[in-house]
Amino acid sequence: MSWLLPSALWAAGAAVLAAIVLHFIARSRPLAESLPTARFVPQRPVHARARSIALSDVVLLLLRSAAVLALGAAVAGPVFAVSRGRVTRIIVVDQSRDVGDAREARDSARSVFRDGDVLVAFDSVATRLSGSTALDSSGPTDAPGSLSAALAISLRVAAQLSPRSDSFELVVVSPVSADEIDQATLAIRTEWPGGIRLVPLRGAVGNERAPRVESAMGQNDMVIAGLSLMGVVRANANVRILRDRPSASDTVWARDTAHVLVSWPATDRAAAWQQRATIDAIGGVTSSTGVLIGRFPRVWALRGHAVARWADGEPAVVENAVGRGCIREVGILFDPASDITLRAPFRQFVAALLAPCGGIRPSARADSLFLASLAGGTPLRHLAASSALRERTTESSTWTPWLLGVGAILLVVEMATRKSDRRLA
Amino acid sequence: MTGPSYGALLDAVRGVHWQARRAVTSAMAGTHHSKLRGTSAEFTEYRLYRQGDDPRRIDWRLLGRSDRAYIRLATDRAILPTMLVLDTSASMAFPIATRAKWRLAQQIAIGLAAVVHADGDPIGVAVRNDRGIERVLPPRTRRGVVSDIARVVDDVQPAGADPLAPRVAVLRSARVAVLTDLLGDSDALLGVARARVAAGGEIHVIHIVAREELDPPRRPILAADPEQPTLQRLLVDSTRRAYDDAFGAWRAEMARAWRATGAMYAEVVTDEPVPHAVRRIAEAPGVGGVPR
Repeated sequence: MSWLLPSALWAAGAAVLAAIVLHFIARSRPLAESLPTARFVPQRPVHARARSIALSDVVLLLLRSAAVLALGAAVAGPVFAVSRGRVTRIIVVDQSRDVGDAREARDSARSVFRDGDVLVAFDSVATRLSGSTALDSSGPTDAPGSLSAALAISLRVAAQLSPRSDSFELVVVSPVSADEIDQATLAIRTEWPGGIRLVPLRGAVGNERAPRVESAMGQNDMVIAGLSLMGVVRANANVRILRDRPSASDTVWARDTAHVLVSWPATDRAAAWQQRATIDAIGGVTSSTGVLIGRFPRVWALRGHAVARWADGEPAVVENAVGRGCIREVGILFDPASDITLRAPFRQFVAALLAPCGGIRPSARADSLFLASLAGGTPLRHLAASSALRERTTESSTWTPWLLGVGAILLVVEMATRKSDRRLA
Repeated sequence: MTGPSYGALLDAVRGVHWQARRAVTSAMAGTHHSKLRGTSAEFTEYRLYRQGDDPRRIDWRLLGRSDRAYIRLATDRAILPTMLVLDTSASMAFPIATRAKWRLAQQIAIGLAAVVHADGDPIGVAVRNDRGIERVLPPRTRRGVVSDIARVVDDVQPAGADPLAPRVAVLRSARVAVLTDLLGDSDALLGVARARVAAGGEIHVIHIVAREELDPPRRPILAADPEQPTLQRLLVDSTRRAYDDAFGAWRAEMARAWRATGAMYAEVVTDEPVPHAVRRIAEAPGVGGVPR
């Protein structure tokens, strides 16, 4: 048996102790009672106080103590473990773009999987899978991986399963690349009370991949025409170019597929973004892959992670994450009569706009110090105790209502006993 | 017909007689020895004829044998009208929960009434209800008088602190039994009793004492006199001994003072069986009276 809030037991014990101490040291003023022969009692000041140790008072003390203990136990929330010695394994499988070989990830997960284990797949978000067969249907994605999300859902799953297991083993099947680590990762890791078994995978060489662009616009659009010259307009696209306002389905496409949605308005009326206080023109824009020289009007004040900047540093292209994907807003308007998109600088410049969400980053495995911190634990503390994983803020004890009822009944009996004593007096 | 609650009591006191403690002066024939000597069939003695005696009372046969004139004397028996007076002050309603003192006084009164009625004596009752109205049933011998007395005492609830002595002083019955806890005007009542005894009357005082007065609760209490709410005393372990001594001494003094007046005194505690108490009161030895 364990307790959800053991401190409540200590508080109840202290309250009972205080009640007992008060019972034996407190002196109460006796109540006036009828006694026809009162005249034969020697004269004494009536404000004197006296202590009572009548048997009824002892019964009252016992009733009060029992009521306080019952209420304290109800608040503490006793939890009786159903099974003993059971170890549940939570296997977290990386399915992000940082995994070099998805088949290797699946095979590694299956090699440690046993009946009763819990499978969790993650990229930028983590999802609990229904079974090992679900691994086949959930393939690798283009989304970046997030170990923080994986650890967080592991903690939640363990808390949910803690009444049915004594211990948990957490297995992380991942290349653990630097791309998958953020500032919260180690903080979340410390919440897991045991060690983490790492099953390393071969990481992706990088997240650079050939862009495949689709657009509802035809070849008459100057941007699409320029992209066509790059040979990136192909089927099974991972980049969608919109020359008008994006629809809800476009956003859902980017969110669910971890692809890139590029919103590049053809005119200043094709976007509802916040406009700059002063519309001006500037002579150049630069991205991580190229520079475009020309005279460009600046209409919008864009907010987000800058992908390209105007010559004075103001963002010209920004990226905002949406689900597992992202939306890039391009505030560059071209003169329709210009052939700038057909030139080589455009193709160099636009390559950064077609890169995967988050930009092109070389894949790098996390350093050994971090890996040691992530694995943590000792051979003796490899498993995490379920009592330490219990979700105390939301978990409830089935005994709590009954204990509250017992406490209430005891209080009613105590009140009845007290009134009965007074009436008999 | 009495109420069902008194049936067992009336059965228990059947056969008990309450004789007068001294010769009575009543002229009506009854069961008590009379001070008068007349011509009843119960011969007592002869006395020489004196001038003024009724010549019809001369025993002529004895005159013929002895040549002396003797008067034949016989002892008369007379009735003894009895009044029961119940103390209805607030102190009789103790303990609050059970009213044991008042309940005991009611039952003793009914028991004594039944005994008196069975002896053929007139019996009456005087009580004062909680509105201060005196209810008096004059002594009667007719059937049903015990039931009438039971109804009267059952209708009364003890309250107030009316003095008892004036109520006793106005009664003219030869025998008066006062059921009281003596916590009211006991001195005045003692004076009335003294005068009544001096006048040849008979007075009985049945002192009702509650067990809770003899042995108050062991827990500390602030004892309040129900007839004097401002009188509050703290009864704790340190004052209990003094209380016991003072209360015991007072009861002993009451018994001595009442007996000194020639009255009959009996203390009855609430846990004593009522038939036993009735028998003890009725069959107590007399004080200079005529034993049965």
